[in-house]
Amino acid sequence: MPTKNVTDERLGKFKNKGKDPAKLREKRISECVELRKAHKNESFMKRRNVTLSSLPDEDALSPDYSTDAVSVYSIEDIIKDVNDHNKEAQTRGCQAARKLLSQESNPPLKEIIDAGLLSRFVSFLGMNDEPTLQFEAAWALTNIASGTSWHTQQVVESGAVPAFISLLASPMLHISEQAVWALGNIAGDGSASRDILIECNVIPALLARISPDTPVGYLRNLTWTLSNLCRNKNPCPPLSAVLQMLPSLIQLLHLSDKDILSDACWAISYLSDGENERIDVVVKTGIVPRLVELMGHRELSVMTPALRSIGNIVSGSDQQTQAAIDAGVLNILPQVMRHPKASVQKEAAWALSNIAAGPCKQIQQLITCGLLPPLVEQLRNGDFKTQREAVWAVTNFTSGGTVEQVVSLVQSGALEAIINLLQVKDSKVILVILDAVNNVFMAAEKLGEMDKLSLLVEELGGLDRIEMLQNHDNEMIYRAAHNLIEKYFCGNEVEEVKVDSTEDAFEFRTADVPRTFEF
Amino acid sequence: MFITDIRKEFYEVVANQRVALLVASDIDALCACKILQALFHCDQVQYTLVPVTGWQDLSTAFLEHKEQFKYFVLINCGANVDLLEMLQPDDDSVFFICDTHRPVDVVNVYNDTQIKLLIKQDDDLGVPSYDDIFRDEEEEGDDSGNESDEGSEPSGKRRRFDEGAIERRIDRQRAKREWEARRREILFEYEQYEYHGTAASMMFFELAWVLTKDTKDMLWWAVIGLTDQWVHDKITRMKYITDIATMQRHVSRHNHRNEDEENSLSIDCMRISFEYDLRLSLYQHWSLYESICNSCYTSCNFKLWTLNGQKKLQEFLADMGLPLKQVRQKFNSMDMSIKENLRDVIAESSMKYGMKDIRIQTFGVHFGFKNRFLASDMVHATTALLESTEKDESDGDNFIKALDSLSRSNLECLHAGIDQAKKKLMAIQQTVASCICTNLILSQGPFLYCYLMEGTPDVKLFSKPMALALLSKYLLKAFVHSTRNKRCKLLPLIMAAPKDVEKGTVIVVGIPPESETSDKKNFFGRAFEKAAESTSSRTLHDHFDTSIIELKTEDRSKFLDALITLLS
Repeated sequence: MPTKNVTDERLGKFKNKGKDPAKLREKRISECVELRKAHKNESFMKRRNVTLSSLPDEDALSPDYSTDAVSVYSIEDIIKDVNDHNKEAQTRGCQAARKLLSQESNPPLKEIIDAGLLSRFVSFLGMNDEPTLQFEAAWALTNIASGTSWHTQQVVESGAVPAFISLLASPMLHISEQAVWALGNIAGDGSASRDILIECNVIPALLARISPDTPVGYLRNLTWTLSNLCRNKNPCPPLSAVLQMLPSLIQLLHLSDKDILSDACWAISYLSDGENERIDVVVKTGIVPRLVELMGHRELSVMTPALRSIGNIVSGSDQQTQAAIDAGVLNILPQVMRHPKASVQKEAAWALSNIAAGPCKQIQQLITCGLLPPLVEQLRNGDFKTQREAVWAVTNFTSGGTVEQVVSLVQSGALEAIINLLQVKDSKVILVILDAVNNVFMAAEKLGEMDKLSLLVEELGGLDRIEMLQNHDNEMIYRAAHNLIEKYFCGNEVEEVKVDSTEDAFEFRTADVPRTFEF
Repeated sequence: MFITDIRKEFYEVVANQRVALLVASDIDALCACKILQALFHCDQVQYTLVPVTGWQDLSTAFLEHKEQFKYFVLINCGANVDLLEMLQPDDDSVFFICDTHRPVDVVNVYNDTQIKLLIKQDDDLGVPSYDDIFRDEEEEGDDSGNESDEGSEPSGKRRRFDEGAIERRIDRQRAKREWEARRREILFEYEQYEYHGTAASMMFFELAWVLTKDTKDMLWWAVIGLTDQWVHDKITRMKYITDIATMQRHVSRHNHRNEDEENSLSIDCMRISFEYDLRLSLYQHWSLYESICNSCYTSCNFKLWTLNGQKKLQEFLADMGLPLKQVRQKFNSMDMSIKENLRDVIAESSMKYGMKDIRIQTFGVHFGFKNRFLASDMVHATTALLESTEKDESDGDNFIKALDSLSRSNLECLHAGIDQAKKKLMAIQQTVASCICTNLILSQGPFLYCYLMEGTPDVKLFSKPMALALLSKYLLKAFVHSTRNKRCKLLPLIMAAPKDVEKGTVIVVGIPPESETSDKKNFFGRAFEKAAESTSSRTLHDHFDTSIIELKTEDRSKFLDALITLLS
């Protein structure tokens, strides 16, 4: 078992370092690993083969210091070497530090910082005649910047930002790419670090590296860094920076690599998460149809941020929502609503609820595109978070829709479904449902079909539930329930309602919903 | 964990404590209980006896007693579920489990503090090794780190690992996945079949022997417990013969011990003897004719539900030279001359009729001069009392009655049980005959299926699990003898009977295919669970045997459909 090999290897290093049998064994083990790699690890190999990144394998990077040497390299040795004047010693120390920082468990971030090595590393970044040293230092700093906010701050304060931005222009692709990575970590730390980078003009320097020849691996890192530059609010990135980045992001969104698409979509989702003016900037680029297309992407990592972006856009103004509708969002939404993953369903239901909040023209499009059946399905069987969004969709629909539209909503089974949901614990959801019920009654009132609706609600078990809710702890629920009973269920209980008469064009019936509830 | 020294790790621990005895409703459990009670009487151990009929019962009993008791002894229940998960006991409750149900839940096997299994390790257990199914949590923690849920927001910062680390991580993840797949496979293999191990009564008899407190009564109870496993078809023939041999050694030892004492001649003496006796149920308490008609072995071999079968039976009796008048009268009143070598005569003629296994190794007992019982007589009688439907008595009352019938001071009770057992055997025989003659057994593809309709005679009797299981066994044997379809002979059987008309439920029993070499392993438990889950049928998996469940009558067809798909 591989884990065993690893422990053996470690034991060997501790106990028998330098001794031949141990080395032989290690060699055997590494051969074993090679063999395993060769035939068992096919998928991983494939991935590595297609990675066109400029980053070379670590072994090829620099003169080989045997692995034994590294593991016994103490922080003290590193400090000594890094502060040495000899370039070779510096490189050796820097690489040892980088290796420690790249190990999986407990990388000594703080120890390296406390040893005061950061400024040395930063100074190495500028040594254009020592590419190996540059690269090792960039990697080490990258990993330190990947730590907590404090770690990242230390990197920024050591003056790494301008050094990395200059390094972006390095003719050696793998060094430039490492700089992209480091800048991504700094940008991902939060608004403040992000804006420091933007102030230092990181964006033009980054965008200059995008060309038709840029390797995919490099572009992935770069897209991720750009997405981090779009990320975080309070404050959100300056508009000018956004405008600088958007054309390139749009360009990236038309590539086919799923990792690039994913990060580019996330970037768009960050940019569209804000005031309507921000959304406008995104919509004006004309990217909405592409985003709608990506909502149907088979990779979850792409469809999720695309859906999020569209969800953000339809939460904007009516015009912005219309742009999404015109791009065909309603055609694809039914299938997304039925996605097996609950988090996707929830996100789709949220988008739907925002479209349902629009003018009745948009509501009509929603009906025409067949969104009511999946909505009712989610109300019935979705997980709770999805149901909550779906309930909002119903309430928005009933408050903005025409009487006819509300009738078709009821006929689709939505009323029955929300009545069944009245037994949930969440007070907010109950209130929203009661609101929807009230809206439906108001529509019925306009049709003069109130009695029929009262009867229907009663048949669906709604009256019992609403009556129960009059005992609810929550004052607002109690009042809403009480009002409904007062207004629509009082007094005429004895009066016979003519159920059969169909004098009016509209009849409140749950069309294909069986009315039997017995067990 | 398994207990290795039953005296030190079990008996001496509970000896000065108050103990709650939770006893399942089967004869072996009753016998084990009797032995343990006798030991507790000897040593003045305080105990409370609680009969439990199913998991719900067990949970309730535990809740009611957990405040007053620290030690719980579970007899023939509790081994095949994760008991701690089910009961959620406090840390200081300790469970001693003596249960024949296999497979033993792995958590029970590897819990060292609260679960003590009084189960022989040399039983064919096949428990997966610890390392194959458990793994230290710690190791798993950091693995998922980089491979966060797909579709969630990307991380703001990323560390660059060296290639080796990534590779190692991927290796580890793959190893973990492989390990998990293997674990699932191992557990599936392990939990796939339900079967039974060494009788609980034999375990406790061994305890008594180790304590040198074993008596003839205890020995007899152990014999009955073992015979119960045979009569109710829980163990293989091989296992039965082996365990009989073990018991025989004890019997010889006891008989030898008392050889020269007056005891063996006194009016209230008890003598256990090894017998190579007839597989004719209750024949010494019935007429030979009725016993032949109502015993599974003879009835199936003659196919007594056919005219031809009846004719063959007459020929058989003629072959033995037994006058009908003798055969039809009470066995006790038969001529001594006939009775003398009756077993040999019957065995000889049986050979001619292809019934070479008419005799089986068993034990008999003499109470004083008059009363003689075979171990299987006791099993039938006690079972009849335990599942009595004659009066509307509670399960608890029946339990006590059945328990009492095992004491030799309560022969009256035992005789009442024998009478009920006869009625039950006749009911089974009639039901088998009518099911076969009216083709009620349907082949559903992967299994045979038979449903007893409401209104069938004696249907109430078969609402009880052991009665229905016994009926299923007899019915399947009869079916195998009567059908010409070779494929059908190899199928298992599912039987359903109305359980509670008011609640609209049926009781469903699944039994493994019938064959001489059957390993008695039953896969229906898992299958029932899966089928119920996939169709969300309203089922109650309350019985300690997972192959016995309750089901809402309306859900029967979808449940069966799911089973067919599952097993095809």
